[in-house]
Parts: sequence; C-alpha cells; structure tokens
Amino acid sequence: MDFITMCKNIAMLWSNYWQVFIFEGVFNTIKLTFIAVTLGALLGMVVAMLKMSKHKIVRFLIAIYVEIIRGTPMLLQIFLFYFVLAETFSFLDFSTFTWIAIALCINSSAYVSEVFRSGIQSVDKGQTEAARSLGLSHKQTMMKIVIPQAIKNILPALGNEFIMILKDTSLASTFFVGDIMTVYLNVKGATYLPLEGLIITGLIYLCLTFPLSKLVAAFERKMSNEK
Amino acid sequence: MKKFLSIVLTVAIAATALVGCGSKPSDNNSEGNTSNGTLKVATSPDFAPMEFIDLTKKGQDKFVGFDIEMAKYIASELGMGIEFMPMSFDACQIAVSTGKADLGLAGFSWTEEREKNYNISDYYQAGENETEQVVIMLKENEGKYKNVEEFNGVKVGVQAASLQEELCKAQLTGSQPVTIGDINTGILQLKKGDFECMVVASGNADVIIASNPEIIKSEFEFKIDPKYTDNVILLKKGNDELTHKVNKILAQAKEQGLYEKWYNEALETAGVAVSYDDDGKIVEEENNDSQPEENSSKENK
Repeated sequence: MDFITMCKNIAMLWSNYWQVFIFEGVFNTIKLTFIAVTLGALLGMVVAMLKMSKHKIVRFLIAIYVEIIRGTPMLLQIFLFYFVLAETFSFLDFSTFTWIAIALCINSSAYVSEVFRSGIQSVDKGQTEAARSLGLSHKQTMMKIVIPQAIKNILPALGNEFIMILKDTSLASTFFVGDIMTVYLNVKGATYLPLEGLIITGLIYLCLTFPLSKLVAAFERKMSNEK
Repeated sequence: MKKFLSIVLTVAIAATALVGCGSKPSDNNSEGNTSNGTLKVATSPDFAPMEFIDLTKKGQDKFVGFDIEMAKYIASELGMGIEFMPMSFDACQIAVSTGKADLGLAGFSWTEEREKNYNISDYYQAGENETEQVVIMLKENEGKYKNVEEFNGVKVGVQAASLQEELCKAQLTGSQPVTIGDINTGILQLKKGDFECMVVASGNADVIIASNPEIIKSEFEFKIDPKYTDNVILLKKGNDELTHKVNKILAQAKEQGLYEKWYNEALETAGVAVSYDDDGKIVEEENNDSQPEENSSKENK
C-alpha cells in the first residue's frame, strides 16, 4: 500500500474528526473505564472477602461466579447483559450505556477479586500468626497487619486492571455507546478508509495507556523501595 | 487505612453519580403522537447512506439515512414514538429475534435463512435508481475480468451470507469465493492481494473508489433478480399483526413516491454530515455532488 497516500488520508481523517474522537470517544471511554474499575474494585473486594469466607458453600458459589466470568469472553457477557438481563429487568429502564457499564463492572469484579485475594494471601502467614498470638482479633489482624501489607501488591495490579478495562471498553462499541471504537466505526462507515481510521484509534488508545502504564511502573518502584 | 477507605468511598460515590447520569431513560425525542407506545428499531448505523450517524448531532437526532427516515414514517403512521437502538449488524438480528426491538432495519436483504427465522416485510427500494452490484479490483488489472470466463480460478472476496456471495456463486461460476468479515476488511485484503476481485453494491463502490484511488470497477455486469437486491425489514417470527401493518405503510410510502425523496435526502445528508469541519477535502461530498444519479440505490448486506 502506498505509504504517502495513507499518511495523507490519516491527516485528512484527523483534521475532520479529531473533535469527535477526543470530545466524544475519549470522554466516553474514560467514563466507562472509570465506572467499571471503581465499582468493579468495590464489588471485587466484597467477592474476595467472600471467597476467603469460612463457609464452604459461600466459597463454592463465589468460585463459580469468578470462574464463569473469567472463563467466558467479555463480548459474550456484553451480549448477554444487553439482550437477556436488560430484558429481564426492563422495569429498571436503564440506558444501553448503563447496561454495558454494569457488564464491565461485573467482569472487572471477578478479575479484581483475584487480585485482592492473591494480594492478601501473598502476605506471609507468619504475620497473621504473630498478630493472633499477640492477642489481636481476626478483624484487627486483617485491618492492621495484613491489608496494609497486601495493598502494596494490590495497587499496581489494580492499575494494570485499569489499563486492561480501558482497552476492553472497545468491545462496547458493538452497541455504539460512543467510546473511541464507536467513533471509529462511524467514521469508517462514512469514509471507507478502515486502516487509516484504525491507526488513529490505535494511537489514541496508546496515548491513554502509555502514561498509565508508566505511572503504574513508577508506583511499583516506589512501593518496592519502601520495603 | 482510613484515608485509603475514604478515597475509595469518594471515588465510588462519584462513579455511582456518573452511572446515574448514564441511566436517564434514553432520550425518546419522538415526533408526533406517542399514545401507542414506542416503536423500537434496531439498526447498524455504519452504512451510509442507508443508516449512519451525523456526528454533529446528539441523542436520537444523530441517526440519519434512508432507513431512518422510513422508520420514522412507519412510527408516525402507527401513531407511535420511535427509539433507535444502535448495534452491530449481527446484534440487530438477535435484537429482533429476542423481541428487544420491534423492527430490524439495517439494509437487510432477503435470504432463505432469514425467511425461516423472522417475519419479513415486503420489499422496499431506496429510490428508483437502477439496482447494481459491481466487481471492484486493483487499477493494475484494468481491462481484465470483463466476462465470466476470465473469472475461472480467480479468487473473489464476498461478505459471508450476503447477497454478493450468492451472486458470486451463481454467476461467477468458475471463481473461488473468499469470505471477508466486512467491506472495510475486504478492501484491505484486496489491496494486500488476498484476492483479485471483490463484489460490492455499486453505491458502496463509488464511496470506496473516491477514498481509494488505486481501486477501480470492472466492466462485468451481474444479472439482478429484485428478490435479492431489494431490502426488507425484519420482524419477530409470528408478529403477523405488525408485519401486516408495516407492509401496508410500505405500500403507501411507495405510492406517494417517498422512497426517492428519502434517498435523495440521505445522499445529501451523507455529504453534509461528513463535511461538518471547514478545512480538509471531504471524500463523501465530492462523490455525492459530482454524480448523484450514478450513486446507485442499492446497498445490500
């Protein structure tokens, strides 16, 4: 393919559509990611706690939940949420955007719960034993000894989860929720310049994820220095 | 720890608030009488000029194109409000079969499989321009692929389960059809040399050629059966009452010559919608303005 023509086309697409890409695409992608990660992290925390519960049945149910969500494609989950759950709970009258956001939250909760669980379990068992033998209750041990140490492992992994979800929101474009990929679809549909549009889209995603991954890396360094 | 928790909580509240913004019932800015409820229309708005998005507008207003105008007409004749549900082409069919949407309106053409699984409306045509499907190829092959014999052993790109695939199998008998994901992927593969030719609707070909000067049309002509080229609306299997009403409205629209009006408006919007920014050359506009008659009516998926 002619490289120069391609560059010209990219420049033309960008000059025509940059406002839509930035103000609509990037805005919606970040909004969706933010909702999915924050609510997903909260839900994930609950799921992780339940997974470490004393009751066998609770542990079993939560294991099924996590396995089903981690074991099926995100696109499939979005379809199911949009077509099955949104119909079943149609009285809620949520918009498409909300349903997609909920699907992303649930998905991210399963991944985040594993992050929390492994973070908590990575704290040496001796710490718990020592705390308990010093007379701290189970709750105190968790809050004062285990979790503060676990957070060092958890936060960088959460940052990575944020980056993952940011890229995964592109799947929401199946229902045209207005993220960067949706803008790409609209532009592509009007101009029939697929590769050029994709390159622009890719660069935008890279501009979003690269600083984030640098941030996570810096954070990780800081955490390991403190040890 | 407390600090951390308070941060998490603040963020969570902010996020809930954001979801709250999102969950406002979608803007049903329906025109006219909405006493009979809302007509939900599933459509795949990446397909100018049949249905596409005017990026300068917001909410339900941003949907434009021939099918969109027709859907609005159907709704107003039924005395219903209208809500467009944008989704991918595949998802449109799921939405209709699960009953999430009342109508599937995305430039569908008739196929046997669709007949089996859906209620299908009568045919409609975008304008009275001649229906046309064409073969496109790289410029370096100019003069080749004019008649059937030349297609012997030649690879031809077609969309899966599309009208173009049926045409290719029936009329380019010696050729080897290669399945492509969508037209855009097909263009990339054509340029890369995965196949020598590709079958597309003439209207699409014009837009493709305007953006990609290294691609040209072949002189080969398909014989066209209106059964395959006209569009239909998909409805849920068994929804005979609505199908009957829709058919009546379609006949009425045809009688009043509305198809042509909608199609011309759609073409015009296709130019305007793309050229909302002042600087830069706009492919779409050149294409529509220079030769509106040749911009064939037929866009089939």
